[in-house]
Amino acid sequence: MVKLEDLKKEATQILKSGKVKYIIGYAKGADGFMPIPTFISDPEDVENLTWNPACVHNLTKFIVDEKKRLKKDKNPDNRPIGIIVKGCDSRAINVLLQEKYIDRDDVYLLGVSCEKTGVVDEKKLAKTLKGQRVVQIDFEDNGNFLVTTESGSEKIPAEDVLAERCIECKANFPVVFDIVFGEKIKRQVDKPFQSVETIEDLSQEDRWKFWKEQLDKCIRCYACRSVCPMCYCDECVVDTISFAVEPDTSAEEKAQKIKWIEKSPNLSENIVYHLTRAMHLAGRCIDCGECERVCPLDIPIRFLNKKMEKDAKNFFDYEVGFDPDQPSLVSSFKDEDPEDFIR
Amino acid sequence: MAEEFEPRIVAFLCKWCSSAGSDLAGVSRMEYPPNVIPIQVMCSGSVSPLYILSAFKKGADGVLVSGCHPGDCHYIKGNFYARRRIALVKGQLEFIGLEPERFQMSWVSAAEGLKYTEIIKDFVNTLKPLGPQTKLRRNP
Repeated sequence: MVKLEDLKKEATQILKSGKVKYIIGYAKGADGFMPIPTFISDPEDVENLTWNPACVHNLTKFIVDEKKRLKKDKNPDNRPIGIIVKGCDSRAINVLLQEKYIDRDDVYLLGVSCEKTGVVDEKKLAKTLKGQRVVQIDFEDNGNFLVTTESGSEKIPAEDVLAERCIECKANFPVVFDIVFGEKIKRQVDKPFQSVETIEDLSQEDRWKFWKEQLDKCIRCYACRSVCPMCYCDECVVDTISFAVEPDTSAEEKAQKIKWIEKSPNLSENIVYHLTRAMHLAGRCIDCGECERVCPLDIPIRFLNKKMEKDAKNFFDYEVGFDPDQPSLVSSFKDEDPEDFIR
Repeated sequence: MAEEFEPRIVAFLCKWCSSAGSDLAGVSRMEYPPNVIPIQVMCSGSVSPLYILSAFKKGADGVLVSGCHPGDCHYIKGNFYARRRIALVKGQLEFIGLEPERFQMSWVSAAEGLKYTEIIKDFVNTLKPLGPQTKLRRNP
């Protein structure tokens, strides 16, 4: 079990010694049991830190934001940032290191182990509790969660309320860290791609029916893009604002500006957007599931990324986020890559 | 009698091999269906997934990506990258339920005019029974 006191002690110490400029962690939210990301620079505020199964967020996104901010800063504070990372988040750090987006010295990683469980799925929890208001949720031994509701507390087996991605998780222990809390327990994952396979097993027409229904819903709010730690391009392919229209921009130039993806949220454009996003995340997505969590229309975006991960594993024996020194998926090749689909 | 459906194929041909191969088919007066719209690209490795999706979006019934044989790439390894990328795109398109026959890849060298015509003939024949591609098309 992760001892919160140890975490707080370490956090206080690194803040007091000036080793880090601030710590990104989880704090109790204003409403309900869901924690919120918090930035702590004053050692006295360390008391706010919390760690429980509802800490679903991938905080590495804030590292990316900070990196962008530092580029514009005239007197940048280049001390490392302390950040609390779960197993999946630490893989995101590894990908950022692999892409040389951050240096290892930019971050001080406070790893936390999910041990035998993981984080909860809010919707599953609400369903299990049949609408009772959750006040607090905690880790319990033997793979259970201790859920405190307004009417009392009960033990719930973690598998019942675990987020889908945690059931298929390959890194329940941080793969890169400076200091780690909790035990290293290897959890057995029998079917790492089960969710994708359930869709693959459908007939082609049913698959199309499923995705047509799902992607037709998309309103193109780009929440999935905003929350993704890997979507850090300064210019995104879907943004036409990146094309600066100045007083001397001719009508011809405006007309010839290629728009790969229109802004209008119709099915065809949505498919191109989501497939392009999945392709851009090929070999980079570490399956933190944030895109799916923030989606206001509950589109299972994760499946598209998971399919990429599966293909990368099956075709090219490529696993994301375990080795920061490996070449990236689409900028490397092997002689024995499959080519049975090519004439 | 209703007119027979004629599929429209967008073919991304690499400049150094496949495009030269299609040229050879042309200058040798080999006959093949006129359903293909060739687009010359510098290398099969330069074909972005967006080109493919864009072609489907704008109403292509089939998309062909063709490059040099492995080891023959003018840029040494461009077609190896293409091979990897196309495998991923193909998987993704099948995953959302597009007919896998609609997207093909081939290796055609500058001397293989005949192979090029055969690929196009086969492609047209497989696309005809499938009918028009309406899934990814913008205004079906």
